[in-house]
Parts: sequence; C-alpha cells; structure tokens
Amino acid sequence: MTRYLAKLRYFPGDPLEEIREKDLKSFEREYGVNISYGKVENREMKGGLLMEKTLDKRIEDISQEVITLSADQEDNFANCIIALYKKYRCPRTAYSLMGSNDAGQRIAKKLMNLHGGW
Amino acid sequence: MKILALNGSFRKNGNTEILLKQALMGAESEGAKVEILRLTDYKIGPCRGCGLCLFRENVCQVQDDDVRAIFSKVAECDGMILGAPCYFLELTAVIKQLIDRCWILGHQMGKVKKPAAVVVPYATRGWIPYVSIQSNLLLTLMGLSKIDELTICTQGISEVVLDPEAMDLAYHLGKETAVAVREKDFTYKGEVGICPSCHDRLVRILIDNETIECPTCGVRGNLIIRNGKITVKFEEKAWADNRFRPDVTYNHFTYHIAPSKDYFLRTKEERKIKTQKYREYLKT
Repeated sequence: MTRYLAKLRYFPGDPLEEIREKDLKSFEREYGVNISYGKVENREMKGGLLMEKTLDKRIEDISQEVITLSADQEDNFANCIIALYKKYRCPRTAYSLMGSNDAGQRIAKKLMNLHGGW
Repeated sequence: MKILALNGSFRKNGNTEILLKQALMGAESEGAKVEILRLTDYKIGPCRGCGLCLFRENVCQVQDDDVRAIFSKVAECDGMILGAPCYFLELTAVIKQLIDRCWILGHQMGKVKKPAAVVVPYATRGWIPYVSIQSNLLLTLMGLSKIDELTICTQGISEVVLDPEAMDLAYHLGKETAVAVREKDFTYKGEVGICPSCHDRLVRILIDNETIECPTCGVRGNLIIRNGKITVKFEEKAWADNRFRPDVTYNHFTYHIAPSKDYFLRTKEERKIKTQKYREYLKT
C-alpha cells in the first residue's frame, strides 16, 4: 500500500488566511486523512517590521507553519490538498514541500498548478 | 533640487528624448538642476541570476559595466523622469535589462524616498498594454514613487514636436515632478486606473475564474459588472498582500529567496549527478 505524505511549508505572509488547528481538524474528518500542524516562530519586531535573519539557516529552523498531511487513499489525499490550497492557497517556494515523501510530493506539486490559487 | 531623466530610447533626438528634455525644461522652470542619461550609451550587462547580491550581502558579480554608475546617479537625484518608447506592447529591452539588474536593490522595495514621472511615446493606439508594469517595477525597485505618467501617440522620429498639446503635457510633467520634490508630496496625479496602488488597468483572472488580481501588485479582488460597467472590488484585507509593501517585500526576500541557499547546498550532490548529461549534451 502506498502511503502519501506531504509537508506544506507556509512562510510568513504565504497563507491567505490564518491557519487554525480547528479548521485542520475539520479537514481531517471531512477527507479521512491525518493532519498535524507545527509552527516555528523566530521573528522579532525591529523598526516596525517583524524581522529574522534567514540566510545560512536551515530551512526547518526559520519561521514557518507546517501542515503535515498523510493518507493511504490517493483520492482522499488529493482532495484534502485541493481544499487546503483553496483555503490558504498553495505554499509558494520551490522548497515548500521539503520533507514530503515522493508519492505525496508528486500529487501536492501537480495540484499546485491546477488549484494553487494563482 | 536635482531632477534626473533616464532615457530608454536608442534614438538621438527622437520623440522620447525630446519629450524628456521638454519635461526637464519644465523642471528647470521650478528651479531644478537637470541631467539626462541615455541608457543605451551605457553598458548594462544581463543579470547573471547568481543571487550573490543577496547571498553575499549586496555585492553584484557584474562589475564590468555601468549599472553602478547609473544607480549612483539615481541615488544622487531628488526626483526622476523615466522615458522609454513602446515598440511592441511594452517598453524597450534596455529597461527590462535594468529591471533585472535591480535585484540588488530589491531589499528596499516599498521604501519610497523620491517622486518620479514617466513618459512613453508610442505609435499605435492599443499597442501599449504592458508599459505601466515595467515602469512601476523599475521605479519601485529604485525607491521611487510614480506621481504621473504620460503616454503620447506619435510615430516618426522627432514628430512629437508637431503636437503642441503633447509638448505642453511633457513640460507640465517636469514641473509637476519638481514641485513634488519641493513640497514632498508624492500623491499620484495621473489617470486613476483600476488598481488603487499602481493605477494600471491590467487585471488577471485567476484559475478559479472568480478572483482577479492586479498582476503588478499581486492584490486580489472581484470583478463586478453592473449596468454594463465593469469595476473591481479590492477587499481591504487584500492590501496586506501588496507585494510593494515593505513587510511583503521583506518577507519575500527573507523567506522565499534567502533560504533557497540552504536547499541549493543540500541538493548539490544530487544536482551534480543529474546535470551531468546536460553538461555534455550540445556542449558549447
């Protein structure tokens, strides 16, 4: 059985609306998938802007919100990805799926062009 | 007060140069000192896309051209007038070449310090849809705020002098720029357009066929057609996504660009193996 796993990395300013764990829970129930949420926050207010030095840092260590989605059924997985993209738009960088497995990454990436919100 | 004109036309004494000089005469009438640079007289090499201006703290690897000198001139002036002809739907290639080289200035996007005006001579009505995108982008990257824009329909070399209204408008444009510097009033005085931020009339329909976006600013809204009239409604919260806001620009360079160095280094070995056949194929 194929296991589909995607990590969607949203950096500050990327999601169109606030990512709330209760919304993710409702996606989890609706689509029969597993979702977990993680947040890294390293920004500091300086001169009126939330700032952070990200150059020469590991991607996993900079400020971001990570939605980790997994499922055994491709349809469930894909439909949930589409719903997430419609709500938040898709993550924006070339490295925003880092940590996904190959099967999950293939689907998440393909759907970016179709439903990514661009 | 110093007003600089940047000329994006190759033609000497062509319509762009004449309109820019007319604008500078207007600026002089308000007490400005003026200067004009023809961009094609300068060597402007292509951006190499190396990203080192970001990854190595503001050092551009292209050292053997005149871009730094152009940037210095822009830094020295108090206001600017950009002129470029439109030959094919957009501004001339030298403008795009300069835009690409502005990467090193990208960190300052949104930090407006000076006013600027734009003049675009073109030959055929309806063939200028992308001229504002380019001027908006170049000026924003250079830390300038567009206060007005003229598009002038004129064709053969120097024919614009036969159009007294165009010449008056150009003169006024120069005066307006000088006054904006003096009064520190960078309010936009041109045609309002569709996007309240960049004032362009372009909109892009997103793939959901529900949402539209200002392609320059990246701000989203909805199209409304009432009594045959088209308007665009931009939600207040959508302005948070305006790519020229200082925080949005900062986030772009901080989270979309800078961390790519880590990804690049991590994938070094894999890339080395997978790019081998391309290095050998059709080798030049």
